[in-house]
Amino acid sequence: MSTGQFLLEGWTWGGASLPVGAAALALYLAAFGFRRRLGYFAAAVGLALATFMSPVGTLADGYLFSAHMLQHIALLLVVPALALLGLPRAQSLALRPRAAGHPVVAWVAGVGAMWVWHAPALCNAAVTSGPVHALQTVSLLLLGALFWRPILAPREEERLPPPQAILYLFGACVACSVLGIILTLSPVTVCSVYAAPVDRLGLLHTLRDGWGMTPERDQQIGGLLMWVPMCFIYLSAIMAQVARWFAGAGSPEAREA
Amino acid sequence: MSDLSAILARAGLATPEEREHWTMRWISTVDHKRIGMLYLVTSLAFFAVGGIEALLIRLQLAVPNNKLLQPDTYNMVFTMHGTTMIFLVAMPALFGLANFVVPLQIGASDMAFPRLNAFSFWLVPFGGVLLHLSILAGGAPAVGWFAYAPLSEMPYSSHHGVDYWALSLLVLGFGSVGTSINLIATVLTQRAAHMTLRRLPLFSWMIFVNSFLVILALPVLNAGLAMLLIDRLLGAHFFLPPGGGSAIMWQHIFWAFGHPEVYIVAIPAFGILSEVIPVFSRKPIFGYEFVAGSTVAIAFLSLLVWAHHMFTVGLGHTVDLFFVASTMLIAVPTGVKVLAWSATMVGGRIRLETPMLFCVAALVQFLLAGLTGVSLAAAALDWQAKNTYYLVAHFHFVFVGLIVFAILGALHYWFPKMTGRMLSERLGKWTFWLMTIGFNMTFIIQHFLGLAGMPRRVYTYADLPGWGWMNMVSTVGAFLMAAAALVLAWNLAASLWGGRRAGDNPWNAWTLEWATTSPPPPLNFERLPAIRSRRPLWDAANPGRPDPVVGTRWKADTFAPEKNRTAVTTFIISESGFFAVLILAYLFYNARPQPGPSAHDLDVAKTGLFSLCLFASSLTLWLSEVSLQKGRRGAMRAWLAATVVLGAVFLLGQGLEYRGLLASGARIGTNLFASTFFTLTGFHGLHVCVGLVALLIVLALTRAAGPGPGRPAALRAVALYWHFVDAVWVVVFSAIYLLPRLR
Repeated sequence: MSTGQFLLEGWTWGGASLPVGAAALALYLAAFGFRRRLGYFAAAVGLALATFMSPVGTLADGYLFSAHMLQHIALLLVVPALALLGLPRAQSLALRPRAAGHPVVAWVAGVGAMWVWHAPALCNAAVTSGPVHALQTVSLLLLGALFWRPILAPREEERLPPPQAILYLFGACVACSVLGIILTLSPVTVCSVYAAPVDRLGLLHTLRDGWGMTPERDQQIGGLLMWVPMCFIYLSAIMAQVARWFAGAGSPEAREA
Repeated sequence: MSDLSAILARAGLATPEEREHWTMRWISTVDHKRIGMLYLVTSLAFFAVGGIEALLIRLQLAVPNNKLLQPDTYNMVFTMHGTTMIFLVAMPALFGLANFVVPLQIGASDMAFPRLNAFSFWLVPFGGVLLHLSILAGGAPAVGWFAYAPLSEMPYSSHHGVDYWALSLLVLGFGSVGTSINLIATVLTQRAAHMTLRRLPLFSWMIFVNSFLVILALPVLNAGLAMLLIDRLLGAHFFLPPGGGSAIMWQHIFWAFGHPEVYIVAIPAFGILSEVIPVFSRKPIFGYEFVAGSTVAIAFLSLLVWAHHMFTVGLGHTVDLFFVASTMLIAVPTGVKVLAWSATMVGGRIRLETPMLFCVAALVQFLLAGLTGVSLAAAALDWQAKNTYYLVAHFHFVFVGLIVFAILGALHYWFPKMTGRMLSERLGKWTFWLMTIGFNMTFIIQHFLGLAGMPRRVYTYADLPGWGWMNMVSTVGAFLMAAAALVLAWNLAASLWGGRRAGDNPWNAWTLEWATTSPPPPLNFERLPAIRSRRPLWDAANPGRPDPVVGTRWKADTFAPEKNRTAVTTFIISESGFFAVLILAYLFYNARPQPGPSAHDLDVAKTGLFSLCLFASSLTLWLSEVSLQKGRRGAMRAWLAATVVLGAVFLLGQGLEYRGLLASGARIGTNLFASTFFTLTGFHGLHVCVGLVALLIVLALTRAAGPGPGRPAALRAVALYWHFVDAVWVVVFSAIYLLPRLR
């Protein structure tokens, strides 16, 4: 299969993705009605669908570690963030056992999801086994939402103040960079299924020879995606916190103590 | 000597009763203002040394095929020049300014830890002397300021120059981390009432942000230096490919420190520009929030992009691509700053006195440095220009064009506050023009030399078309800069003796350091003006039209934590960086099995048991804290003693583990597993020992204090450190003992 063919035919229309996405949108409309923030939520659903149904999803399914990493980053960091932004401002996200929402727990959830799913055994299992893959997807979305809650909760009082939020995000950035550096510089294969894919689409020749995606380079790109662009997501969030910190500077509520 | 004491007394820098023993008073001082000045004097002294080395380089290169310096001598001179200028000139000068200015700007009476401050300062002359002792011990290092492996390894640099280099950088690194922890604690805990974090003057804000960069970046270098020394002195092979090591690893470690280092010296310079330009434009800074916020962006970005120093190493196109893109992004926040400074000047009533002249020149030169920087970020151009004088010109535009010029601006700006005397404006203008013309003559032409292909780090060159005269121009420029330095030295000395009296606020500036006398009294302020905005002195002088009030919306605005805990927390952040490098090195070097001892020879069960003792010690220490809170001093001391015993048992276990390995013939140099194992667990054990000593001191303090609360802050701070050491062991134990058994 050539590159052009693949870009045309590499889409996955069947499966559970579309119905689940439509159900999510329907649930949102039923709960909150039509409002401007629906745009964020729709973007979240759209991006989640794209990571599964587009050629990226096809490649992530056993062909390329780097495509898997793109999917991973989108599901853990971007989709939950957009979904939280899509909630109405008044919506409380208070968690029942209060400890579950503690920033330390949330931080460990977000960073842990990154590390645990890249343990070689789990990384392979998520590709070869359907149920594990489903578990991975759901856990990434949920843990991602838990991670973003202290930053993006709709209610101001449920968010961390900016200096703490900056430390929180910076810590996550460092923790993910470290894993990215390990993946990039590692002399051994981390996720061995991608080193010898089952070529169900007849695509491997194009990837290896046409695109020059050797297994080593593939893993390197995967690691670099986590090291650099992923950190830019955190960095953008940090800059948003800096903006939030300075935004209230001259506000009238400021009375001299 | 007595002359000097007379000068100091005249300038108000030594009280009449101090005149007799003024040297002792200055050597033993813990006053942040005097320490700041000591830093600056030290920096000026090393500036002379590094400057003479620069002149030697330029003399050697003035004409083709010159034989003034031997090749080896030349290598030593440029290595010492680079090391001196960065670690002994730029950093001490900026720490000195921060030391003097920050406590005054935030309305504090001193730094949070005056004695730590003195300690950190004295490490600078000590480290500097240590570095130069190498000359007596067989020769200075001759490996460039970044000491690339394997050249810096024993087989290729067998005299002790590199050892002195590494040891002195370790000493200086400790000092820098100490100062930065102190500065963070000072800004967080010593601010005057109403000096909220969002009202900080930009210089103090940038020093605050920058200090985080120092505590994150320096430990990375320290870890690398420790590994290099272990290679050189104990026969390990971290960076020696023949023994299985990786020379590239040294480059990663060095630049993971080295790139932030550029910003560590640049951000304080940005702070200086942000103070001086508004005052001499008679306008508040344009876009305070953007200048302050872009500093945060620069600090974070600088930690991410070090691999752009390694485009020519052969990391592959893929890696290059990511770092080209991320490096170019840095142009955005720096561009924001340049725009903000320029917009501050637009429409201002600009007074072109010496401090302002230096800062305007720094702004223009930094713009050029930034443009060549963006060009070098393109990997394709970098491959061509990397090892040429184009790069030399680029980074001298950053280090001299921006940083030295900003420091000189700051020196002229704050000298009246330090000494109570104005510098001569006439001599200042001479310094400025000699410096500016000399600098641009030296370095603009080097861009063209580089594009014409002249490589850097060569002791001489063939008489190729154009190279001879361009190098001569560069050399003449360097001597003009030397002349500027002499005028500056004369100006400093003459003004200290007979300069015009400065008064409290000679520049009509707006920040708090100008609200006290020049020089300030020992505890800085008699009383402070009201602080409602970022320019309290403007508000005081213009009650009819004060600056808009900067609010206190966030709790964190008035955040003032306990200082011991703050310092230990900061120290822990720094130590995490150190251990992260050692742990990553362990994982990297042990990714593949190798002959000789391995993780499978270790006794998991036994060490696991001893580890439980260590983890239990965290619990007992926590119980000790709880007892302290409840006022049960007996229980507190009992739990504290239990913690010490458990910690000691853990160390005993480590000793047994070492004995077993040593008995089986494993030495630190045997293979990479042994090197990484002994290095990582050894440094952890060292930290446990330090923690034990600290716990014993707290125990002794509680005994000495008698009844009463004792020193709760000391116990809490030490406990924090102890918990951290235990947490590190969780990671180390998992990486060394558990991970190999999961495979």
